[in-house]
Amino acid sequence: MRVIFVCAVVAAVAVTSAGARPVATPGVSATEIRLGSSVPLSGEAAIAGNVARGIAAYFKYVNDKGGVFGRKITFTYLDDGYDPGRAVNNTIRLIQQEQVLAVFSSLGTSNNLAVRKLLNDAKVPQLYVASGATTFGRDYKKYPWTLGYIPPYSEEGELYGRYVVKNIKKPKIAVLYQNDDYGRDLLGGLKRGLGSKVKSIVASVGYDPTSADVQPQVTQLKASKANVLMVFAFGKFSLQAFNAVSRLAWKPQIFVNDVSSASALMAIVPQSAANGAISIVFGKDPAAPLWRNDKGIKLFQSILRKYGSSVNSRDLQDGYFTAGMATAYTMVDTLKKAGKNPTRQSVMNAATHLDEKGNPFVLPGIVIHTTPSSRFPLTQVRLQRWSANAWHPFGKLITARPG
Amino acid sequence: MRSRLWLELSGFTLLALAVAALPRFISDFRARELAIVGMYFIALIGLSILTGYSGQISLGHGAFMAIGGYTTAVLSVNGVYGHQIRDLWTIPIAGVIAGLAGLLVGVPALRLSGLYLALITFGIAVSFPQLPKKFDHFLGGTTGKILDLAKPPFGLATTPNNWMYYLTWGIALVLLGAAWLLVRGKTGRALKAIRDSEVAAASSGVKLATYKTLAFGISAFYAGVAGSLYAIANAYVNPDVFPIILSVYLVVGLAVGGLESLVGLIAGAGLIYFLQNHADTVARWINQLPALNLDPKQPGIPSMIFGVVLIVVMLLLPTGAGGVARRLFGSLTTRFYTRS
Repeated sequence: MRVIFVCAVVAAVAVTSAGARPVATPGVSATEIRLGSSVPLSGEAAIAGNVARGIAAYFKYVNDKGGVFGRKITFTYLDDGYDPGRAVNNTIRLIQQEQVLAVFSSLGTSNNLAVRKLLNDAKVPQLYVASGATTFGRDYKKYPWTLGYIPPYSEEGELYGRYVVKNIKKPKIAVLYQNDDYGRDLLGGLKRGLGSKVKSIVASVGYDPTSADVQPQVTQLKASKANVLMVFAFGKFSLQAFNAVSRLAWKPQIFVNDVSSASALMAIVPQSAANGAISIVFGKDPAAPLWRNDKGIKLFQSILRKYGSSVNSRDLQDGYFTAGMATAYTMVDTLKKAGKNPTRQSVMNAATHLDEKGNPFVLPGIVIHTTPSSRFPLTQVRLQRWSANAWHPFGKLITARPG
Repeated sequence: MRSRLWLELSGFTLLALAVAALPRFISDFRARELAIVGMYFIALIGLSILTGYSGQISLGHGAFMAIGGYTTAVLSVNGVYGHQIRDLWTIPIAGVIAGLAGLLVGVPALRLSGLYLALITFGIAVSFPQLPKKFDHFLGGTTGKILDLAKPPFGLATTPNNWMYYLTWGIALVLLGAAWLLVRGKTGRALKAIRDSEVAAASSGVKLATYKTLAFGISAFYAGVAGSLYAIANAYVNPDVFPIILSVYLVVGLAVGGLESLVGLIAGAGLIYFLQNHADTVARWINQLPALNLDPKQPGIPSMIFGVVLIVVMLLLPTGAGGVARRLFGSLTTRFYTRS
């Protein structure tokens, strides 16, 4: 009894003796601007972590050229293994220990949802979220410090729906989707795009992002005798889906969502399944023959060679690196716009008044545009088709801007 | 024996003073990190009662932490009949619910031992995270449940991190004291007797069923409290917050801390936290060695570092931190005891 009493007293003394601490200063000094990100460098989505490595290389290049108004950008990216819990821990570390000005290009829908509230409570910009979940651009009244980047998934789904209605006779559609906001957004958009033909979806099966393999789901979908397959799956799940389609000797017209359409992924799946697959594209793909002599891609490769850390020849063809650089380019633009003495507020203002033309890492003609009430920076895309081991864009730029 | 009591009491007071003084010397963020170490410490104390003292192996304590974490999340986000409960008050409730779950698991555990028990508990660790996915309207599914960030109550003038630190370590010290009382008394003797030989224990009048189940319940209570604190500190729960590997980490922490040393478990808790979150720092240290150039950002490097450090630690300290401490101070303290 006595011991418990002693313990309780000690604990009480400890709690009351806690003193006040000074408020943290947000990430800008005379020589430095600090940005941070939480990305998967391990786990099933590790390949997408190359986005952050591309960003880091680009910032080093910018720093070498004098930085932003004389300040060098320090970019800290932490591994979360695509696990929202670790993303929360990383984000708290970035705000509190690394003292970043803004959290930038963290990856994953659930991961960004998990930290959105705490970032908005702390009034830290959550910029250019590497997820197309529509909520990041749509719910700005509730979360004014959050901003997306890539085309919203719902609009992407809608484009596929419209394409099917226009180009495929008697479609019978099977959908494999990740059972979270990311997959459900795509599925919802697809239904909207199909309009009156929504009944042509004959089967849709969700998988959990922590499952081991999606082959059972694909087998189930094949049984529906569909002639179109939507792969709204990420990372290894997308690979597994293509593998399963090939193994089952199924020949549907495949649509694969943008975030899984990297050439690096498409090149390693069975080509019998991959050939003819359709996706959307907004960034220049360094593996596509179309851009072999493009200035932007040449710049990308020279930056990555010089500033990337342990880069191999495959990385120079990897679209995740280019996607990272495209975002980093917009971020540098934003920082310049935020003025000589940026604050979190001025960065947010700059990010919601973008009008960026000529980003060298996205398709020619794309304008990255935001206003305080229209928060989808990148909404122009083209369709592309996979054949002969490469993506080939077709058609004109189309708009995927919500509502 | 009396001098041993005073020795241990003064050791406890020293520890408490160190805990109380530490935040003055470290950054706010370190206080948060230490708070999480404190949570692992609490869970490890519980596991030590179960595995170290009663000899029952559990590979499923992550699941009890999850029960605690989800209890806190549900009570403070969904609330009860629409009334949200302050995070602070959910901690004991989380502990009790996890403890009850532990008692339930303790019942089949009576019939099993060793490897088979470990497998059963492992099964729990594997299957439990699937439940929130099944009941996703209530438990948030894979997307998880988002809590409010912890704020110091009663208008205390301190940062959220310092508050988490004092809360966690205050609870940890109380629970450490309670565990210490438990294991040095009749219950502890009974548990140790069961561990060493069930037949001998039973024939000396120890009620196997009662004590073995009790050990499970108590140990799950500790894990539940730890899980609840973890949910509050991270302001977030989803199935991945309590993965299967967490249960394994806990067993690792127990081995590193020393099976029978309550205070040594702090080292175990520290190591699990450090290796999970700072393996890249270790990679940078290792890079000081000639002819090595590990990129800490390369996929897989942190996990590899974790494994290597673990092997090295277990080779050098097979009896854990507690064993080393006992060897260092053993001769001194035995002289104390014999004199009394």
